[in-house]
Amino acid sequence: MAVAASAAHGHATHNPVRFNRLGLWLFFFSESILFGLLLTTRFFLEGIEREHVDQHLGLAITIILLLSSLTAFTAETAIEHNNQRVANWFLMATIVLGIIFAAGVGFEWKTAEFSRHEAFGSVFFTMTGIHAAHVVSGIGILFLVWIQLKRGKFNSKNHWPVSGSVMYWHFVDVVWVFFYPALYLVK
Amino acid sequence: MHIKHLIPAAVLWVIITAVGELLVIANLYPTVGSLEADDFDWIFRFLLAIGVPVFAFVIAAIVYSMYAFRSAKGDEMGSTIRGNGWFPRIWLIVTGGLAAFVMVFPGLTGLQKLQSDRTAYGWGDTEADVVIHATGAQFNWTFTFADGTEVNIIKGKELVLPVHQKVRFNIDSVDVVHSLWIPAFRMKIDAIPGRTTYMTVEPTVKGSYAEDQSFRVQCAELCGLDHSVMNFPIRVVEKPEFDQWLASLKTGAK
Amino acid sequence: MYAAKSVSGGIGLGLIGFYLGLGFIALLRWTLGYPEPWGGEINIIGGYIFGLIGWLMGVGMWGIWGREWFGQRTYPRKAPGWQRYFTFNTDHKVIGVQYTVTFIIVFLLAGALAMMMRLELANSGMQFLSHAQYNGTMSLHGTLMIAVAVAAVIGGIGNYAIPLLIGAEDMAFPRLNALTFWLVPPVAVALLSTPFLGGMETGWTAYPPLSVTTNSAQIMFDLGIITFGLTSILGGLNFLVTIMFMRAPGLSWGRLPIFVWAIFATSWIALLYTQGFAVALLLIALDRVAGMAFFNSTAGGDPLLYQHVFWFYSHPAVYIMVLPGFGMALEIIAHFSRKPLFAYRYAVGAFLGILGLSGVVWAHHMFTAGIPNYLHGPFLVATELISVPTGLVFLSALGTIWMGKLWLKTPMLFALAVIFNFGCGGVTGIFLADVPTDIHLQDTYFVVAHFHYTIVGGEIFGLFAGIYYYFPKITGRMYNETLGKLQFWWMFIAFNVTFFTMHLPGVQGMNRRIADYQSGLDTVNLIVSLSGLFLGASFILFVYNMINSWIRGPLAGDNPWQVRTLEWQVSSPPPLENFPTPPVVQGHPYDYGVPGSVHGVFPGQKLGGVPVVGGGGGQ
Ligand SMILES: [Cu+2]
Ligand SMILES: [Cu+2]
Repeated sequence: MAVAASAAHGHATHNPVRFNRLGLWLFFFSESILFGLLLTTRFFLEGIEREHVDQHLGLAITIILLLSSLTAFTAETAIEHNNQRVANWFLMATIVLGIIFAAGVGFEWKTAEFSRHEAFGSVFFTMTGIHAAHVVSGIGILFLVWIQLKRGKFNSKNHWPVSGSVMYWHFVDVVWVFFYPALYLVK
Repeated sequence: MHIKHLIPAAVLWVIITAVGELLVIANLYPTVGSLEADDFDWIFRFLLAIGVPVFAFVIAAIVYSMYAFRSAKGDEMGSTIRGNGWFPRIWLIVTGGLAAFVMVFPGLTGLQKLQSDRTAYGWGDTEADVVIHATGAQFNWTFTFADGTEVNIIKGKELVLPVHQKVRFNIDSVDVVHSLWIPAFRMKIDAIPGRTTYMTVEPTVKGSYAEDQSFRVQCAELCGLDHSVMNFPIRVVEKPEFDQWLASLKTGAK
Repeated sequence: MYAAKSVSGGIGLGLIGFYLGLGFIALLRWTLGYPEPWGGEINIIGGYIFGLIGWLMGVGMWGIWGREWFGQRTYPRKAPGWQRYFTFNTDHKVIGVQYTVTFIIVFLLAGALAMMMRLELANSGMQFLSHAQYNGTMSLHGTLMIAVAVAAVIGGIGNYAIPLLIGAEDMAFPRLNALTFWLVPPVAVALLSTPFLGGMETGWTAYPPLSVTTNSAQIMFDLGIITFGLTSILGGLNFLVTIMFMRAPGLSWGRLPIFVWAIFATSWIALLYTQGFAVALLLIALDRVAGMAFFNSTAGGDPLLYQHVFWFYSHPAVYIMVLPGFGMALEIIAHFSRKPLFAYRYAVGAFLGILGLSGVVWAHHMFTAGIPNYLHGPFLVATELISVPTGLVFLSALGTIWMGKLWLKTPMLFALAVIFNFGCGGVTGIFLADVPTDIHLQDTYFVVAHFHYTIVGGEIFGLFAGIYYYFPKITGRMYNETLGKLQFWWMFIAFNVTFFTMHLPGVQGMNRRIADYQSGLDTVNLIVSLSGLFLGASFILFVYNMINSWIRGPLAGDNPWQVRTLEWQVSSPPPLENFPTPPVVQGHPYDYGVPGSVHGVFPGQKLGGVPVVGGGGGQ
């Protein structure tokens, strides 16, 4: 019966958000292997050895990134409830926190006491670098979404771009939850 | 209905297998120059003997079906057997059994022999009679004996080994990954910068590269421009002759 | 001219992007105070990335997709007739043809390189190539053929057939699909530029430290292959969502055509493992351009790290290559035997079993690489285990042809050859999985023969089976059957003579990837070279048959093979969005000869004399 209704165009039966959500999850699976291999590389080359890193800075940027996930979540919840003002502010806050995180990584790079020409340095700069590249791309995506949000394009019925970019942001955050102990806390 | 086809198909299988098993008897191998080579040839033949009937089964099934079940036009329907019954289970048991068999023998048992820490054989760990340090470099080999004597493309120009002695190579590389392979001995292992790998061989026949090209050290891992010519002649001689050769190199050095 | 507009737009913006990227990096380096702004490879990387984006946008992605990111209205570039093949077209049928034709061209090109190699290897001593030229030729042959093997069947036949087979109007993400195709030309450009940068030296495996110290051809290889990996991942993702969500009503997992199952398993492997190759090459690029020390043993790195990461992808990659070939072969064998696919559930189990095991066997490529002793045993066992699910594919194929009515058309011959060839490739695989034999055979021509049997014999034969099978559907015309059969027997015999013989020099002491060999191996190499050249010639016949039949072949009709699956129930070629009335599936696709059974029905139409009512439940 539902079939007959959609006879003219199959599209009618498909729910694009459902597609997008699964697609994004699959993308996360794939990316997890990327990050997992980088983690493996770290332990393969260095075991549980670690050079000296700035613990305060590491902790600070970690807290900032976790906070940004919270603001992103708030923004998503707000747009689901049609509250565009709150969504607007919290999305902006997420972007700002993301920029602070990226700047923190940049500062860490400048002040690092080890060289990239040695194994630990290679591992550290590559892992933080690849992760930071994801953060920066996340900032870019959030920024594009934020502009559309400000123009009032999203509401409780139509907010996939917000949800999708926030999901991506959470994912990048979760990756850091694994990277942070591997780079800062081990031993 | 099956029987009518099973018998001729089985006959075909037996015939193809019989022809294929000739490969087992055939001498496809280079000179057997070491204990390890002896084992390799034996295991290779054993796997061939098992593998031939497997491949022959596939060939026989396809060839017989193409002949007996062909249909000139596409409008006839085949029988509707689906294969949900006992046959797939038998198949699983047989193939699983075969896989388990070659896994254990000659797989794991052969591996056990190769890696035993009580013998100087293959990748075994025990002291050998002669220890040679082999270093790979683009695109040369250098061999250093325990007493410090060096053999390379300029000095010595060939590697002489004593027959019936256990010869251990400790191998490393100064630049890229190479691989030390001696076809007559059927042994190889990579030369990797930053770590030392090893292998032990026991030459069992005398021979030399001049008469038999399988007596050579060959680089078997692509290492750049002249990889293909990165080889080094080997000559296997009696122990006294080997000692003499080693001594002559030393006097030559002074 | 839409086609000209797309292609010239892509090339134009690509070039502009390339130079912008070069300059941008130079500017960045100048600002940061590096001594040489035109530092070399880092500039190339910038140029490549900018050029890639420029190319994609210029070729039509901007109008159809990019504008949306900035809140603007999108407009597709609707090109008529043949021109749509040269635009950013989102129709899966167009993309399937784009993939197939592109990779056939790459296949012929890489095949020509193989002919050069065989000419050089016809006799010991150097014939007409230098060592550097031979290494470059060999590396490019390997790399291009790997690309063909990874993408031709899944990208070409898969894209064309999967939505049709499952009764969908397109893929789940049509624009993403177009993107995966248009990422391919830059890959080709990157790889084909390598001879001008000195030629690749490392083969497609790119082992460090050599790949770190070698010439700049390596960086183009890295960039090209990482891009190619991206198409593989995105393509796999697209197939997975499509197969999970877009099956026609009633098309339950148990009724899925076996080729769809094969693509499903393959897509998982592509999605998950391809990252391994990307990581491996990324680390090499970082060692090269940033002086990092991943593979520099004097600074704490380890060359073996690369081999682990690389083979973590590259073993599963052989299943990305071979599973679609298996799927295609089983699909065709069932239809052309006019018989239900034998042990369907076991065949599905085989694909899923291979998917599960593919990730835990990689170190069998490293048995002689100096890995710790305790790794050999587990990887030997896991590798041998894979022969069990692989055996189930044989069970299904051989069980299907037994007591069938074999219609030996060209696609069927190729499909049977897949099973035949893989029989040989599977048996020789045992020799390489067992360490005691691998220790001698590793890195010899025995390995070369083995993987040509599995990849060419198992997949490329499947690709040809698929092309002949779908040719009437794609073009609406029938190829010349006599020429098709002639090509089959020609290719089959030449292939087997070439590669069966090739095992022998391997056993006798000829290592692979060498420009020259010992004079004692002259005779056997001459035989291999002659039959290899003969094999190469067989493809001329194929190209002629395809082009000629596409232009003036007789009309094929909608269902020339009298096959039950959905794609054959629509016109040839199928209309845009595939099904004028969406299909409903009521039975198994392979129930030939089962009284009263139907696979797909179209509500409101009559099919196979069975009156049809709407609905059909499920999904
Ligand atoms: Cu070499
Ligand atoms: Cu493998």
